[in-house]
Amino acid sequence: MKWLRARRRTSLRVRLMIFTAVLAVLCILAVLAAVRGAFVIALEQSIQKRLASEANALITLARLEDRRLLMPDKLPDEKFNTLEAKLLGFIYDAEGDLLWQSRSSLDESVDYRPQFAGPEPGFTRGRDAAGDEFFIYDLKRMHLRGQDVALSVVTMQPASDYEAMYSGFMEQLYLWLGLTLLVLLGLLWFGLTWGFRSLRGVSVELDAVEAGTRASLSEDHPSELLRLTDSLNRLLESERQQRERYRHSLDDLAHSLKTPLAVLQSVAEVIATEPHNREQALVLQQHIERMSQQIGYQLQRASLRRSGLVRHSVRLGPLLDTLCAALDKVYRDKQVSVQRDFAAEQHLPMERGALLELLGNLLENSYRLCLGRIRVSVTRQGRVLELRVDDDGPGVPADQRARILRRGERLDAQHPGQGIGTAVVKDIIESYGGELLLDASDLGGACFRVRLSD
Amino acid sequence: MKLLVVEDEALLRHHLSSRLGEQGHVVDAVATAEEALYRAAEYNHDLAVVDLGLPGMSGLDLIRQLRSQDKRFPILILTARGNWQDKVEGLAAGADDYVVKPFQFEELEARLNALLRRACGFTQATISAGPLVLDLNRKQAHVDGQPLALTAFEYRILEYLMRHQQQVVAKERLSEQLYPDDEERDPNVIEVLVGRLRRKLEAHLTFKPIETVRGQGYLFTERCR
Repeated sequence: MKWLRARRRTSLRVRLMIFTAVLAVLCILAVLAAVRGAFVIALEQSIQKRLASEANALITLARLEDRRLLMPDKLPDEKFNTLEAKLLGFIYDAEGDLLWQSRSSLDESVDYRPQFAGPEPGFTRGRDAAGDEFFIYDLKRMHLRGQDVALSVVTMQPASDYEAMYSGFMEQLYLWLGLTLLVLLGLLWFGLTWGFRSLRGVSVELDAVEAGTRASLSEDHPSELLRLTDSLNRLLESERQQRERYRHSLDDLAHSLKTPLAVLQSVAEVIATEPHNREQALVLQQHIERMSQQIGYQLQRASLRRSGLVRHSVRLGPLLDTLCAALDKVYRDKQVSVQRDFAAEQHLPMERGALLELLGNLLENSYRLCLGRIRVSVTRQGRVLELRVDDDGPGVPADQRARILRRGERLDAQHPGQGIGTAVVKDIIESYGGELLLDASDLGGACFRVRLSD
Repeated sequence: MKLLVVEDEALLRHHLSSRLGEQGHVVDAVATAEEALYRAAEYNHDLAVVDLGLPGMSGLDLIRQLRSQDKRFPILILTARGNWQDKVEGLAAGADDYVVKPFQFEELEARLNALLRRACGFTQATISAGPLVLDLNRKQAHVDGQPLALTAFEYRILEYLMRHQQQVVAKERLSEQLYPDDEERDPNVIEVLVGRLRRKLEAHLTFKPIETVRGQGYLFTERCR
């Protein structure tokens, strides 16, 4: 399975390269086999012709006297005369008995006995006592100088005489086919790189779109890809417009629902000034508070849905600076010191709006409750990034930590706030597949831990 | 204190205006940003409450314009959405704090009083000058722990002068703190009120904290903390 998953991730170029490289190697191997086969056939045919011509030359030298075969002592072809030259000649009678053999064959005993009866064997192979291979040509003669005879003229030559030629040829063949393969693979790699450069260009532009550094894909692509990039651009634009419309609708909805609630709240406060109406006013105020929390929570949740196409990554430092500047203004009297414990280029894999809400809610909580110190830190454990917000406030008792993470829970009733902050934070984190944990901090207060997969 | 309230919803505007009036503030309540700019140019306000979702010019643009016109009074924003994008934008534009709708009046009042205190350099809910102590929440003056019987108008004048200690405050400015409308303002009434306040203070104090600066106004001479 691992192998399968790894193979799915292999790039198109590498896949094509592997496929074409295998194809090229197979083709070269087939060419190698075919050329080698053709060479061997041609070589054997030339050896056969040569041995046949030597056999014919031998028989032209033979004479018959009283039906006895006579051969000259010294043959015109020197290769039959010396032991070093390995061109062997034999003449047998119809029974397979040796009538004559060349001088060159005196120290050889090749395991071959011609069969005069039956079809002419022609070209064949045999081995000597040492196991060396010989090419053998067996010629039947029925007539000699006008007389009927029954002779087998056999010429032999060791295969080793051709091995150097064969291996020389094969070396050249390997060299040239190897070079051809290398050039072919190089050209293939170049061709694929050139061809896929446009795909790579689309990929780079998509990365930029996902990272939010460009709004759409350019039109500078080959015609085959333009249809795809045009469609993607239309999709991006439609998603952007939809998000914009959605955000405006939510803004309008928030304003049109919450302002009347604020009016109702004020009316309830006026009603509550009459002692006999106080109980009803309290019920009214509680319900207004509930409606307000639900509207606020659902609107925030809806506005922070995760974008499907764009993969966001936000630099933490500037966003934290923006939030701290705002909160420092609100909590100016407290003179809160915020310690930043992360790299200057630290990014978090979230949309800016979502991270602003998440960190805004966590930081406001810390600003409200701390004595004067807050620490924002980021650590990495493998593929998991952990964002921590520590403060030196009163902290949350262990038995209440699970409860505070529940939707709409508000334990700090003495402080102003909407009570949905932690619930919104939890929802945002869960929409990114992360988790929110609450622990005690080494600063003495609460420590909110946001764990996100990178 | 003279407050500018900018809220397009008439009922909420009326409620804010009357509740803040009950708390001893003089309220300029308007429905649009354009009207707010006009009022801010005409009068001296001590604080503005601005709704972000105004028709026409938005609350954010109004805050930016006020700051560009060098209006330094604190601004409290009212936001319906309550998300951090709005809060951060509002605070970056020049606001000083925010309240999310719907709100309880006590919450708004607490934020508002904190901003007013901070604007005058006070962080506590009391202002004291020697034995004279002003409880800003209860709107009550004490001398050596004993309550001083002041009318609402007298208290407002004393609070305003103490908040602006060591500064000459014009009669017109004090008049704006007491009456929302131009036609009701009469400098002679201020003179009468200040005279009464002086007598009440000097009956209990060994020093004279309020001085008249001829042709300019009044000065609270004691250092407050």
